[in-house]
Amino acid sequence: MTATHALVPATREVGVAAAPGDDAGRWELIRALGALCSVAPPDGWVISDAIGLRPWSRAEHTAVFVLDLPPHASIHLGPEGKLGGDGADRVAGMWRALGLVPPADADHLAALLALYAELGQAGDACQGSDTRRRLDHARHALLAEHLMSWLPGYLAAAGTQHAASGWAALTAAAIRREVDRMGLPGELPAALREAPAPLGAGDGLGELLDALPAPVRTGFVLTQADLVGAGRQIGVGVRRGERRFALRAMLEQDPSATLAWLGAHARRWVSLHRHGTLAGPAQDWWADRAASTSAVLDSLARSVA
Amino acid sequence: MPRHRTPHQPTPDLGALGERVSAARAAVEARGETFYQGASKTFLAGFPPPQRWDDWVELDSRAWPERVEHHSMLVPTTCFNCESACGLLAYVDRETLQVRKFEGNPAHPGSRGRNCAKGPSTINQVTDPDRILYPLRRAGERGEGKWERVSWDEALDALAARLRAAIVEGRHNEIMIHIGRPGEDGFTERVLASWGVDGHNSHTNVCSSGGRTGFQFWTGIDRPSPDHANAKVIYLISSHLETGHYFNPHAQRITEARAKGAKVIVLDTRLSNTATHADYWLSPQPGSEAAINLAVARHIITTGRVNWDFVRDWWNWQEYMEARHPDGPQGFEAFQAALAEEYDGYSFELAAAESGIDAAILAEMAEVVAGAGTAFSCHSWRSAAASNLGGWQVSRTVFFLAALLGAVATPGGTFPNAYNKYVPRPIHTPPHPKVWQELSWPLEFPLAQNELSFLLPHFLKDGRGRLDTYFTRVYNPVWTNPDGLSWMEVLTDTDKVGCYVALTPTWNESAYFADWGLPMGHASERHDTHSYEQYDGQWVGFRQPVLRAARERLGETVTDTREVNPGEVWEENELYIELSWRIDPDGSLGIRRYYESKDRPGEKLTVDEYYGWMFEHSVPGLPEAAAAEGLSALQYMRRYGAFEITKYQGALYAGEVPPAELEDIHVTPTGRVYTAAPKPESDNIGPLGAPPPDDEGRRPVGVLVDGTVRRGFPTPSGRLELYSSTIAAWGWPEHALPGYIRSHVHPDELAPDQMVLLSTFRLPTQIHTRSANSKWLDELSHTNPVWIHPSDAARLGVRRTGDLVRVSTDIGYFVAKAWITEGIRPGVVACSHHMGRWKLTGHDQVSPGGMMATVDLGHGAAGWSMHARKRVGPYSSADPDTRRIWWSDTGVHQNLTMPVHPDPISGMHCWHQAVRVTPARPGDSHGDIAVDTEKSREVYRQWMARTRPAGTYSPDSTRRPAWLMRPLKPAAETFSLPGATGTRR
Repeated sequence: MTATHALVPATREVGVAAAPGDDAGRWELIRALGALCSVAPPDGWVISDAIGLRPWSRAEHTAVFVLDLPPHASIHLGPEGKLGGDGADRVAGMWRALGLVPPADADHLAALLALYAELGQAGDACQGSDTRRRLDHARHALLAEHLMSWLPGYLAAAGTQHAASGWAALTAAAIRREVDRMGLPGELPAALREAPAPLGAGDGLGELLDALPAPVRTGFVLTQADLVGAGRQIGVGVRRGERRFALRAMLEQDPSATLAWLGAHARRWVSLHRHGTLAGPAQDWWADRAASTSAVLDSLARSVA
Repeated sequence: MPRHRTPHQPTPDLGALGERVSAARAAVEARGETFYQGASKTFLAGFPPPQRWDDWVELDSRAWPERVEHHSMLVPTTCFNCESACGLLAYVDRETLQVRKFEGNPAHPGSRGRNCAKGPSTINQVTDPDRILYPLRRAGERGEGKWERVSWDEALDALAARLRAAIVEGRHNEIMIHIGRPGEDGFTERVLASWGVDGHNSHTNVCSSGGRTGFQFWTGIDRPSPDHANAKVIYLISSHLETGHYFNPHAQRITEARAKGAKVIVLDTRLSNTATHADYWLSPQPGSEAAINLAVARHIITTGRVNWDFVRDWWNWQEYMEARHPDGPQGFEAFQAALAEEYDGYSFELAAAESGIDAAILAEMAEVVAGAGTAFSCHSWRSAAASNLGGWQVSRTVFFLAALLGAVATPGGTFPNAYNKYVPRPIHTPPHPKVWQELSWPLEFPLAQNELSFLLPHFLKDGRGRLDTYFTRVYNPVWTNPDGLSWMEVLTDTDKVGCYVALTPTWNESAYFADWGLPMGHASERHDTHSYEQYDGQWVGFRQPVLRAARERLGETVTDTREVNPGEVWEENELYIELSWRIDPDGSLGIRRYYESKDRPGEKLTVDEYYGWMFEHSVPGLPEAAAAEGLSALQYMRRYGAFEITKYQGALYAGEVPPAELEDIHVTPTGRVYTAAPKPESDNIGPLGAPPPDDEGRRPVGVLVDGTVRRGFPTPSGRLELYSSTIAAWGWPEHALPGYIRSHVHPDELAPDQMVLLSTFRLPTQIHTRSANSKWLDELSHTNPVWIHPSDAARLGVRRTGDLVRVSTDIGYFVAKAWITEGIRPGVVACSHHMGRWKLTGHDQVSPGGMMATVDLGHGAAGWSMHARKRVGPYSSADPDTRRIWWSDTGVHQNLTMPVHPDPISGMHCWHQAVRVTPARPGDSHGDIAVDTEKSREVYRQWMARTRPAGTYSPDSTRRPAWLMRPLKPAAETFSLPGATGTRR
């Protein structure tokens, strides 16, 4: 089912029928890029074909978007790196502020990009009116607060996965175009202004294990694939289970090497944030946080050596 | 504001890529396929966008794997299956120009594209093999089942002659149109007014008048409009409205509120659908609800949560003090103390004793209510208010809670419905009739909210009058009312009812006894406008014959809806225009002028002009919105089906009265303000109370609050009336305050072997007989077992669910299946009123298995008996689905066994029954009924003895307080009591 006219009532309020504007392709591309990470193959092949991306297999799609990198804002902005909670509530609040009922997965990238496209399309349909101004304002808030607060890091992580790299690059390019057109405020997004404390040098093992899977605590994204690579690199076994469980096992086997690898991982993310294709105040914040985490982890590695 | 910009990097040609995706999507969707698979990410459901309503393509699922396209025109209309008036979209096949299906209309502000099962099932009613397609005239005796097809001209000429004769001979009161659920705003009333006839009769006194009465005496307006979506606490006395009446528009907003953390409290003796979702489900002893409300009120008062600023400004507390505490101090502080004292007796312990609910639970719930502040939405409609002697006090005490909290017309609060309703002024407005219909508005019930419709058979038997021509309009009085066999007795008596005309889409238990069966349209076959309170905003909806609108989109001109409807099915608008012209062909009676064109003087008014004028002149903003799309206002409504006029009405009562309306004002000591300035014309003619003028004839214009004249409420005092001087003056001073009246089924009134039968609850997938000719709905719900608690079942010897029980009332009994469940309070049984359709043996005009049992109806010394000869089953018809009927049950028609119980104040029929439940006796069969209508006469007389007639109690020699709302209010002079010489103000 399509979603092009979700905001038609808003445009009809001012007596202007919703109609495709000059930027129809712009909105469609954004909506399509979002849909790709939501719609499992083969249903999404018609979209990837239109975009010119290689069609994913079911396994590839599941590996990236279900298992390793679920594209939810709450995972990246929440204190526990989990679905729901404050990270999801903040996004849902924006839907409500717009007078819309938030869907169950309001913080899913597909929903965010679809909403962005809806706002853009609805704005096109009521050019010159107050409603247009309000819609543009809402779209700008969505971009600055709910996309640029976490998406650059997410796309950087996705870009490291072979299957998703093309999609990630194209999505980053589309978002960069939006940032170029809309600009970003100098102020950090609220989610980062009110972010939980970074990893601390005095944190115990439990706190360390809680923080490592939570990007907003560490400044980096740590996937199952990363852990498998780490195990291979430092010569420890990676036990099957959630990341916290696997990390505990790695730390128990070789704490020094594991902590050292994690510190290096954090430094790689400092670079990814500083030199990524999407720049902004949020990226500086993420880089600083990753740097802070790197320092803590290096210190811990030294202490257990 | 400092802005960051990303460093320049090479990017792909995103513009070209976007165009390519757009083109791909267009190509996919043009094939009727879906580009974005899966659930929508931006809202719950997707709808066809309006710009594609002219040619919407879908693939035929039954043709799979072939790709067969269906091209449809999507034409909006409004559901006719309940009062919610939800928007529908008819899918009109572009090749056959037939309706394929109905789905929701996303442009409708109330329902927002969502429907309950009754909406899409309209297609069943349109294709029902048993519908009446042509005008029919009785060929044998009344009720014999013999009919002959006649032309509309024959029917209209015959009826016009009868009606003209009655009008010319001054027998206006022998004409009556009895409507069921109106589903429109005032057309029928204006027809009667144009004929000079006070003949509007409605089903409201078996429906909602008890609920309305409580709200009317508080606010001057007889319906509430809860803003559920923004409430913190939602308080529902019974779920009835939320699972039946405004089920869909309210339910979806309650769901939204719950998602935001709102608490839902449901008082319902039965575990309803809504109760299953409630935070608090309280199952009170039936009739004790007002006692619970008053205990909550006391808690609000004693814990200091009353919004005293609101109370000081907007309650008529000064009148209360003058009336009840004339000798003490009259200040507000004295009132605060008096109020606390007045309700001090309503402790949780008292409420617990009355309701059977633990006092601690009541206290916990009351604390939730007290914490709601001004975001407290509440509703009481049928159920308790419609079931108990004094049930109207249930809604009066519910609104008491909102009034204490100041949650009146606040976000999340409860509004008077008039704030959220818009009835556009029509092209012609005939004057008030100059007669008073005693058969509907008898002197015994001066405060009745609506017509005493369910007493009509008894009044006719009393010899209070006769009816020359009696219309029922999409209404089934034999089936819907209590004591239906008394209805049958008068409908078959030509001395009492000279001519009975059934305006109906389908056969029903009343139409069998008609002289004329005239086919009326379903939701997609008729014009109507309507506006209902479903959120804080105002909208107007439009029901239309969708095939007429579809053909007009194709460039055709349709001037008579019969051209496009099935057979010769018509609609009332055009019918009444034509009939009125035939009653008054030369205009000499002064009737025809109300059906003449303004554009073409002397010619007949068309529905296009009628609605075109209304939409163009009386709906603010609609012409402009239409013009922005290059449409006329009528074209816009034919295109979208609804228009939202306002949102966020807010506290209109607090609005300042403009200086232009303040001329030679008079201010009473309590701050009521009267003005000599004429009332400004309003295009919204929605019903309100009409407070009387002052002694010099100035009209009430507002109330003085802190030195400013504000609108106030349409009550005599201009404020919310804690104390009703009207109730006190008309003989009921003991009930002038929100209070608790013990029900006729209070435990003290029951014999040891009696239980309460709760008979008013609705099945969300059915609505009386209106929805009964829908195969989908009948498949969902086709039986109405008697709910009985396991402890009662064990005590009574009812062993298993499905066992037959005999339920005996004061006038007879019915036999039904038992459903043993903990979803009902011990000591109470319940049976829905939606089932038990029947047709008489020999009525072969109805299909042999047509979703109603074939019954033998006998009459002997013991009265009437009904026995099912044949139940439903598969049968052959033009519809192949009738071969697939897998059920045989039709339930039982329990209402036949219930005597009339008119509440002496509200006039509402008090539905609850004191019954004896026993295992069925040998020979009893499911659906059996026995009724002694002589006993029903006795019960009628007993209840009439409770009344305090206007002839004795009227304070001003009038029949009824003129300020109270009344459908089709007659002219002022008719209010005087017979023989009285005084003039009503």
